[in-house]
Amino acid sequence: MMNLINSIVFFASISSMVVMYFIIGDDRSDIEFHNGKAYLTEEKRELTELQPFTFENYLNGDWAKTFDLFVNDNFPHREIFMQWSVELRKLRGIEVENQEKIVYIKPKKGEQPKFDDQGNPIEYLDEYDDSYSNGLLVLNGRVYPRSGGSPKLAANFARMVSEYAAQLAGEVRVLTAVPPLSSAFIPASEYSHYNGQNQRSLEAIRNNLTNGAIFCDVFTELNNHAGEQLYFGTDHHWKPIGAYYAYVAFCKGAGFTPVPLEQMEKRTKTNFLGTMYQMTQDPSVKENPDVMDYYIPKVQSTAIRYGEFGFKGSAAKVFEHGCSGGATYSTFLGGDRPLMKITTNVKNGRKAVVIKNSMGNAFSVFLISHYEELWVVDLRYSKQNLIEIIRTNNINDLIFAPGMNHVMNPNTVNMMRRLGTQSGVYIPPKPKPVVDSTIVITDTVP
Amino acid sequence: MVFSSLTFIYVFLPLSLLFHYLSRNTLYRNIALTVFSLIFYAWGEPMWIILLLISSFYDYFNGILVERFHGTWKAKLFLILSIIGNLGILFAYKYGGFIWENIDWMLKNFNEWFSTSMETPFEKPTNTLPIGISFYTFQTISYVVDVYRGDVKAQRNPLNFLMFVSLFHQLVAGPIVRYVTIAEQIENRKVDWALISSGVGRFCFGLFKKVVVANIASELVDKYMIYTYHGDGNFDLSSYEAWFGIVMFSVQIYFDFSGYSDMAIGLGRMFGFKYDENFKHPYAAQSVGDFYRRWHISLGTFLRDYVYFPLGGGRKNRYRNVVIVWILTGFWHGASWNFVLWGLYFGCFMVIEKLLEDVLKKTPRIIRHAYTLILIVFSRALFYFDTLYLSNPHFENSDFKYESDWSPLFGFIGNLFSSPNAVNPAFYGDLMMHVYFFILVILLCIPWDEIFTEENRFRLKVERVYYFAQPAVNFALLVIATTLLVNATHNPFIYFRF
Repeated sequence: MMNLINSIVFFASISSMVVMYFIIGDDRSDIEFHNGKAYLTEEKRELTELQPFTFENYLNGDWAKTFDLFVNDNFPHREIFMQWSVELRKLRGIEVENQEKIVYIKPKKGEQPKFDDQGNPIEYLDEYDDSYSNGLLVLNGRVYPRSGGSPKLAANFARMVSEYAAQLAGEVRVLTAVPPLSSAFIPASEYSHYNGQNQRSLEAIRNNLTNGAIFCDVFTELNNHAGEQLYFGTDHHWKPIGAYYAYVAFCKGAGFTPVPLEQMEKRTKTNFLGTMYQMTQDPSVKENPDVMDYYIPKVQSTAIRYGEFGFKGSAAKVFEHGCSGGATYSTFLGGDRPLMKITTNVKNGRKAVVIKNSMGNAFSVFLISHYEELWVVDLRYSKQNLIEIIRTNNINDLIFAPGMNHVMNPNTVNMMRRLGTQSGVYIPPKPKPVVDSTIVITDTVP
Repeated sequence: MVFSSLTFIYVFLPLSLLFHYLSRNTLYRNIALTVFSLIFYAWGEPMWIILLLISSFYDYFNGILVERFHGTWKAKLFLILSIIGNLGILFAYKYGGFIWENIDWMLKNFNEWFSTSMETPFEKPTNTLPIGISFYTFQTISYVVDVYRGDVKAQRNPLNFLMFVSLFHQLVAGPIVRYVTIAEQIENRKVDWALISSGVGRFCFGLFKKVVVANIASELVDKYMIYTYHGDGNFDLSSYEAWFGIVMFSVQIYFDFSGYSDMAIGLGRMFGFKYDENFKHPYAAQSVGDFYRRWHISLGTFLRDYVYFPLGGGRKNRYRNVVIVWILTGFWHGASWNFVLWGLYFGCFMVIEKLLEDVLKKTPRIIRHAYTLILIVFSRALFYFDTLYLSNPHFENSDFKYESDWSPLFGFIGNLFSSPNAVNPAFYGDLMMHVYFFILVILLCIPWDEIFTEENRFRLKVERVYYFAQPAVNFALLVIATTLLVNATHNPFIYFRF
């Protein structure tokens, strides 16, 4: 008798889910709709939809993969199971308050979309590489990478920069302004070795730069302010104040006088839970959302952004003040644009190109005080030829300001090397933005 | 498709059970089961189904021909053709790249030494490994050999033979089910609620082992066996952490594979098949030999019956035969010298154990147990770092070269015995946060059924309680596994790659 009941309970359980799916449908509390598309609120991603079945997508395996994701995303009462799973996982052992934890993250499989349907950049922990491969340390509600870089890999980056310095000798100054990882400033003595590791890695850049390339000592400047919160605790980027100190270090290297913070407009954004929270899903991190104070130079500027191959530009903003929530860091330059040109009212005739990943966004916005024209190149997405941009636009300074994780990754170093040789479609030097008060943005505080 | 996916549990399984039991007609049921098995196999990688069909029909005809010419040289011819065909497929798809790399390496060195310019005579195979190829080729080999020996009659119905080869319960990761085991059940299987119910229980238990135990262990493995790239091959691990990592990998690989086998056996019962056991509490073993009588039993018995005994077994060249079988066991697991070394490692210990049989018998149980576990756990490093020579895809497109091309295996082994790194404070936190998990693992590794024999009164009581509680127990296991699966993105089985 019990065998019969056991079999029936099991079969009823595994059969009921398909039935429940059709009963529940879209009536769920864990999704929200934007522009007719469903998004999973907590996970900040689009709900997987069932692909139409075709022979081609069946043969290449895409249909089956999407079907699995579809079943997972649309599992009846998924939100309840998700909550239960958090509680279940706690039963593994004894939870200790403020316990240090290591969270291991896996790289995302396959290519991630860079922009959503509206052309807005999507924030990911897309710089997954060896800086994160050793896991993330969660300490008192803040997350840090468990890595301090590597001098040998940093030397590889320095050699690439030196090649540009040799190629462009007499034409432009080549500068580097590479920040350390946030691990350099973990407020616990047992992790102080990461500070030294970061320093040694960055010193290796200084020691291997040749052909007149200038090293801007970002580490020392940040280290002088190690007691402040220079990086986000819930995101893999730095805070604007950290970027400001890097800017100060840059000015020392470049021979400029940095604009004091007091001369900029300060604004604040609150409740920022970034990529590190998304990756760790740690409750202690959720309870410590970041506050972001940012500073706006008193400079008039207009910005144009280009696609990967940049046939024509469209208006952009140096500061996207509307960014909030998980996209708070996209306040700077509106996120990762492949290529951006910023024209300012600083009529000193100086022009610069910044090679950066997302870490460079918060840094680049401070540079507009010193250049009439600033080209911001995302090393991952731009397909334009860097040498052509430099020569056609009579650039004075070439600034390498990628995050340390990209310096430590030979593939991204090669991407930076390729910028000089790739044959992307050239952008006309004078694109024509429509001068209209609604789309030409002035980041000005008179 | 994998058993531990929501698609399998909540879409595929109910549909396949429903269609299978729609009729009492065996022919109908076999058609339904074959169709669902082919859908299962084709899920995600449909192109390999052609290879499966070719292999099946090749051995279907070989079986018939071997039987027809029984006792003549022609039977032997078709037997040899079958073995060559199956091993040919296996070599072409599983070992082709490995063979190419080794020929290429030898020719490069030869060219360097003798100033010649020879090139590898064939292109490097680039295909991926067809899922389950190591399992189904062995199944079909065993079938033809058994027909040749007269142990079993050839299957005349191609549908039944295809069903035997493609049964989704055991197709992709075993156990290696021999035709003789289920020959009767293919044509006339008797199903009752007791069998189905025991299958449900076994499936839910296997699912729990995989999703709860193996997957949590894998998180710790990822954390404690991964190496930090410092450009010089050094690990960022203390010795304690490295040992902890490798113990967790031993836990993962056992619960992953035995969980799969439990699910396969359970599914078989739900459909009326009775497969042999594949694991019998291996971590309770008292010697290496004992361990491999408890671990992946279907592979061990296959190699025993089809390689060890034909070579002469224990009667003639015993030690040579043991080493050959173990090298083959290693090679079966993968196309890498690591696996060959792994096989050789155990082959040597098997020989040593045979030589010191009397000494081992007099050694206290606890010492024997500790010795066995240390050897087994240590050998897992060869499984985790499955190459001796590093070709890190991360650096493939880069002109930056890793300083040492040797596998991180050697750095890791070095760390096991001597590490300059201090224990990370977070390690103790991890131990605390998994303390109940460790207790669960130990409880599940203890051979309770050996401690409490079938007549034991306590055992009878427990079985009685379980009989009444089984619907609730299995439902709870299913809900727990589902809960963790909903929040999991990627949980393939380790033995899929073999």
